[in-house]
Amino acid sequence: MKRLQLQRWSNSVLSTRARTGSHLQHHLYNAVRRQSSTAAAVQPEFSTGEAEHETFEEIKLKTILRRTHSRPNQLKYPSPPTHAAHESAKLAALHARLYLPSRLPYETLARTLVDASADQDPNFNNESLSTLGHDLLTYYTSEHLICTYPRLPLSVIFASMYAYVGPKTLTAMTREWGVEHASSPGGEVDPGLLQFQRLAPGTELQEKEDGPRPYQSQPHWRKTVTSKIFYDNEFGDTAKTAAEGVSADQASATFVRAVMSAIYLHAGRPAAKRFFQQHFLSRHLNMAELFNFEQPTRDLTRLCARENFERPVAKVIAETGRKSRHPVFVVGIFSGQDKLGEGQGASLSEARERAAVAALKGWYLYSPLNVRLPSAMEEDEAAPWKPVHVDLGEVIV
Amino acid sequence: MTVQGLRTVTSAQNGAGAFILQCKRLDLHYNLQGASSHGLRTFVQTLLPKFARQYPQIEFRVSPTPKKHPVVRGHYINGREKPICVRNMQPNEILKKVILLKEASGEKNRRQSKPVRSLNESVRGIWSPYHGDLRGV
Repeated sequence: MKRLQLQRWSNSVLSTRARTGSHLQHHLYNAVRRQSSTAAAVQPEFSTGEAEHETFEEIKLKTILRRTHSRPNQLKYPSPPTHAAHESAKLAALHARLYLPSRLPYETLARTLVDASADQDPNFNNESLSTLGHDLLTYYTSEHLICTYPRLPLSVIFASMYAYVGPKTLTAMTREWGVEHASSPGGEVDPGLLQFQRLAPGTELQEKEDGPRPYQSQPHWRKTVTSKIFYDNEFGDTAKTAAEGVSADQASATFVRAVMSAIYLHAGRPAAKRFFQQHFLSRHLNMAELFNFEQPTRDLTRLCARENFERPVAKVIAETGRKSRHPVFVVGIFSGQDKLGEGQGASLSEARERAAVAALKGWYLYSPLNVRLPSAMEEDEAAPWKPVHVDLGEVIV
Repeated sequence: MTVQGLRTVTSAQNGAGAFILQCKRLDLHYNLQGASSHGLRTFVQTLLPKFARQYPQIEFRVSPTPKKHPVVRGHYINGREKPICVRNMQPNEILKKVILLKEASGEKNRRQSKPVRSLNESVRGIWSPYHGDLRGV
């Protein structure tokens, strides 16, 4: 597969940061910058008359500069102006702290920190970036999960997606990256701070009225897992919004997604994948802790029937103190000669349940060696694709 | 529903993938006239520019505080801060203190009794009295 020419279409996402009505100001500012610097460099060579003229002009320019930078002028805008990005120490420190590629400019990093609730203008907020970043993150995470653990039940896939790229994780990452929140958004705010309009305390998030799910007026109706794939988001949740403002969690999640897409757009796909592996996949998650079985013995029986194994039988392997206050039983579940799982407990049924859970986890957490992800095909000169193992899925009882 | 997924959050392992320096900001406060601030004033003029160029991930703030002894204060990602008074110190001594602040994690100093801490389960498992052969006494 050929590499996509990103720059062509990414223009719509990274459109020029030109505010309507600010052309004049931009022009003035640029002109001022150039003139003032030349004046400073050339001044000693000038004669006194010219120097006086220069100083006069400089004073005039200084007043213009002061006016452009004055607080009321900055307050005109809902988010910090573009040129402020180069003056922010916080932003430069964040850029260096994340080892972001030098091709990613400070202006874009500053834009990723402006939430849509702070600045409505889509040219200046991170909404478009975060949409792309969200798709990238869910794509990379889901292909990693499905290819590494091909037998995971869907509800566990939802949970592990939530663990890797859920809003809580992204909020924790924002904190661990050292990003601070601005107390209130505005043009005068340091561009290195995360800017968003805060949700009023006690506001309850409402489900979207015009969501894709039918019968939304019946909130108590059962939502099947299959319908969650179809109608809900990647975590199996219905999207919720508030009328005004966003929570800190939502704003942080949007920011991290926007950073991901900014790297993708400016530095290309390999850099984005590396960033994903270093910051997302390197985090620790114990997959075995995500399962919660209701009736493990029943599930195991159904699984063995489906896979044409012999009917599972629980046998006591070892026991001690059957008549004492603290008995311990070690029970193994056998299918013919093969031991599927083993568990120990204070009663026979508890040990059997644990053994069944161990057997089910052993089945569901199967992971093939040397997995190749579909996104590896996007590399130049990739080897021909060999299909990965795809399982039937969970047992349906 | 046969099996439910339990929601958790992945935990960070700094350095396992990307490494993020835990010191995010260093504040240097000095007195403009005071003799005790002489070392820090010299440090700011001579050694600080090179140090700041070396560690771009740290935000530096230099500000005068009148009628106070000089202080270098580190701010960390976990929200804590670590102040060090540098009165009457030479620039080289101050550099050592600044490096100490840069390398700190921001946690309180604790005695580490185990050489390795890990989130992973033991590969060998927990010893069980019910498995393996019985040994005679």
